[in-house]
Amino acid sequence: MTAFIIENMAPLMFAALVVFLLFGYPIAFALAANGLAFGFIGIELGLLGPELLQALPQRIFGIMQNDTLLAIPFFTFMGLVLERSGMAEDLLDTIGQLFGPVRGGLAFAVIFVGALLAATTGVVAASVISMGLISLPIMLRYGYNTPLATGVIAASGTLAQIIPPSLVLIVLADQLGRSVGDMYQGAMVPALTLTALYALYVVALTLLRPGIAPALPPQARTLRGLALLRRVIFSLVPPLVLIFLVLGTIFLGIATPTEGGAMGATGALILALLNRRLSWDLLKQAMDTTTKLSCFVLFILIGATVFGLIFRAVNGDLWVEHLLLSLPGGQLGFLIVVNIMVFLLAFFLDFFELAFIIVPLLAPVAEKLGIDLIWFGVLLGVNMQTSFMHPPFGFALFYLRSVAPRSVKTKDIYWGAVPFVCIQIIMVALLIAFPGIVSYTAPKFEEAAPVQFDVPTLEFGAPEAPTFDFGVPGGEQPQPSQ
Amino acid sequence: MESLLRLSRLIDAVNERVGRSIYWLVLIAVLISAGNAVVRKTFNWSSNALLEIQWYLFATVFLLGAGYTLFKNEHVRIDVISGHLSHKAQLWIDLIGTVFFLTPLCLLILYYGWPYFMNSFISQEWSSNPGGLIIWPVKIMIPAGFFLLLLQALSQLIKIIGGLSGHVDPATLIKSHGHGSADVEVEEFRAMLSDRPTPNNDNK
Repeated sequence: MTAFIIENMAPLMFAALVVFLLFGYPIAFALAANGLAFGFIGIELGLLGPELLQALPQRIFGIMQNDTLLAIPFFTFMGLVLERSGMAEDLLDTIGQLFGPVRGGLAFAVIFVGALLAATTGVVAASVISMGLISLPIMLRYGYNTPLATGVIAASGTLAQIIPPSLVLIVLADQLGRSVGDMYQGAMVPALTLTALYALYVVALTLLRPGIAPALPPQARTLRGLALLRRVIFSLVPPLVLIFLVLGTIFLGIATPTEGGAMGATGALILALLNRRLSWDLLKQAMDTTTKLSCFVLFILIGATVFGLIFRAVNGDLWVEHLLLSLPGGQLGFLIVVNIMVFLLAFFLDFFELAFIIVPLLAPVAEKLGIDLIWFGVLLGVNMQTSFMHPPFGFALFYLRSVAPRSVKTKDIYWGAVPFVCIQIIMVALLIAFPGIVSYTAPKFEEAAPVQFDVPTLEFGAPEAPTFDFGVPGGEQPQPSQ
Repeated sequence: MESLLRLSRLIDAVNERVGRSIYWLVLIAVLISAGNAVVRKTFNWSSNALLEIQWYLFATVFLLGAGYTLFKNEHVRIDVISGHLSHKAQLWIDLIGTVFFLTPLCLLILYYGWPYFMNSFISQEWSSNPGGLIIWPVKIMIPAGFFLLLLQALSQLIKIIGGLSGHVDPATLIKSHGHGSADVEVEEFRAMLSDRPTPNNDNK
């Protein structure tokens, strides 16, 4: 018996982890408890020395010092302030009017605004709630097919997870040991491709079944001509300025991603102040929620660190590596298995848990197989998006359910999500088939060739969308100090 | 039982006060970080103290906020299974989790974290970066944070036992469902939408 346990410490520990997590106590402490329990068993069996646990405060201190993770509260705070600043409402009203005359126009408006909100607030819940409250009733009133309306809202809200500056990409960059700036750059094209795929799907549907998403009738379009144009321009200014403040400063090398988050948060405060939405209540609430979110995320990381310390000590990392390297098919086999595994785990775990528990085990194997870790991170990021859309536990669907009118059946919301989950899976396949979609420029190679970088709004023909260059020629590459 | 519940209320109040005080540090960190980026770019001046104070503040927030977050029941759980169980069963899960998962972790970190802080304090350890800060004030947050967490674990334990023995209404101890804050958030949004200045494009 003892011999069996000693032989199989790592697999036993992993199996126990599943039980501990499903038990229903907070994940952070379940993870740590699993680590400590097996640490204790290991010490009793003479496999581990008790001095191993002594390393824990040093590990926690390492987490505290981590400059990358500092971006988490900044972007969270920014999103929470923006959520109440009235920006989403203005955008949805005016863009809805702009695209209204087109068949499927409201769906395009939702996708477009979803992408803009993703590039600014980055909070799935906020996007889904505001679109569910504002756009869903209008879509339903003018005869949109219910599953299409709910599906497009949930999917567009979920874009916040993959369009920079997303928390997913920050956490993945941290866990993969890569720079957040590279991760943001690498995710840009895949994120826009995914957005375009959503729009293409709506186009295809309106061609095949015109009745599914009718154009707004003239009496529903209250703004026309110059008045509409003015409103559109005015509503686009705040998000574009914020996108510049955050992504612009990061890509131009003026700010680190962490500072970009702080700049965005300051910008969001100013915007809310200008819109007369900034109150003490809003501020306190945003700080309160940021504190609690930072706390549970960082404690999952602490729990995962305790787990990881012991798991490595019982050679769990070698066991996983051996398991994954012995898969047939080399790189491709590894990628297929990993993606299926992440897709299935995403039914139960959200991305923080996936990133902190699974990614540290996968990263060394991926590196050994010669896989580019930025590309791998973006791939996982797209895949993990499905965790928001999986019926019945997906966050996005859950939030949509709570704002949708009672006439919308839960079944409709679930079925509405399915085509968009399929599109996300297609995107994963596209990424594997054409790895070149993920392009990020290591500055040292790109000094002579400025790369055009388009903000997401450009493809929709927004009049004042700025373009900015990075990789400034002439060696005037500003170095953010770390 | 009544005196225990009074103790539990006292601990809750302490952690609530701590939580509501430290959340201001989030705002301070945001302003320092944004200010630092602007100053560095425009005046080409930067200091390691300004960089270090940011993570000092954040570390303080998430370590000291742990007890508060536990009090507010905001540490995420997987409730795929437990969400379908009775309130009583969920209380038992929390009881077992508090005693066997949470408490040993807190005790262990306190046991090793205190000397870890003391070493730094006695040697007056400074950051190795030029112009950096003294380190012990942030290292003390490790034992301090886990002490507050341990206190809150005790408070939760009292409340859970109260719930199981009928002294406390169990419903107050259980989070409605995984994402319990959703309904509150939705209500706030509705309130905000109802008084927004721009006219909705309703049928006129």
